[in-house]
Amino acid sequence: MLRRGVELVAVHMDNRPFTDEKNLNKTLSLVRHLQNLTQSPIRTYVVPHGPNHIAFARNCQRHLHCLFCRRMMYRIAERIAQKEEAAGILTGESLGQVASQTLQNLMVENQVVSVPVIRPLIGLDKVEIIDIARKIGTYEISTLPGLCCTIVPKKPSTAARAKDLHDEEQKIDLGALIKKSLEGMYVLDPEAL
Amino acid sequence: MYSILKPCNTSAAFEAIPRDRFSLDLDLCEEILGNDCTIVTNAGILLIVNDRCEVSIHKDGRLILKTDSKDLAAEQAARIAGWLEGSPAIRKHRNRGNAGRTDPAAGK
Repeated sequence: MLRRGVELVAVHMDNRPFTDEKNLNKTLSLVRHLQNLTQSPIRTYVVPHGPNHIAFARNCQRHLHCLFCRRMMYRIAERIAQKEEAAGILTGESLGQVASQTLQNLMVENQVVSVPVIRPLIGLDKVEIIDIARKIGTYEISTLPGLCCTIVPKKPSTAARAKDLHDEEQKIDLGALIKKSLEGMYVLDPEAL
Repeated sequence: MYSILKPCNTSAAFEAIPRDRFSLDLDLCEEILGNDCTIVTNAGILLIVNDRCEVSIHKDGRLILKTDSKDLAAEQAARIAGWLEGSPAIRKHRNRGNAGRTDPAAGK
């Protein structure tokens, strides 16, 4: 997308304490690498996402947790897109690569935002994505040690229904969670990376 | 009480798997471990505490130990086991024919 002349703003959803600081450091290294590669400054938002996980874990059905998490990330990304006057949300999702990335799930995730969600890797398999990562020099950074999210359910839903998600989300104050996430968010200047 | 293993090559943590079947009452664990550890958060389905390293404690007894050192991970798992063993926070499961599994109270 950078090669096509698209200006990017990066958003990192900080999952601590359900992961560790290594993931944030990896993200910052990736942004720094892409900036150097393309000579394009990338402003980076870091959003606290841990409290959202706690709210979903305490109040909502366990097997839908990844869906709540992703819908929340989209909602927050949309707010940032509005602030930045961005034309869409760009993600690295690939169909079927993890349990939550099924067509049915992607559909119910899309329903919470009105901006387009662009997924350039959606039809590629793992090997093809790794080949691209090696080519652009991000593979080594992406495979540095890191901690996977520890609050992922054992059996995440692969075919969530919009009504179920909506009903469950009624149990929590989504507006307050989004507000708090945006209040806790901070921006890293490209020069600071 | 625990077997220590690394979930994958690039993981920055170790996982401790209970050798026996039991479940944990995380609210009671929070109370007990709060005497010796810093409670980071209790998400209901997962308790995170900080002692010699940060530890995520799952209801099924699994521990995720956030350290690069296997020795530290083993030591931390033993400390957690020592604090919880024999406490009401541990609910033993009935033996359902799992050969080789032992009593959780039998030691580490």
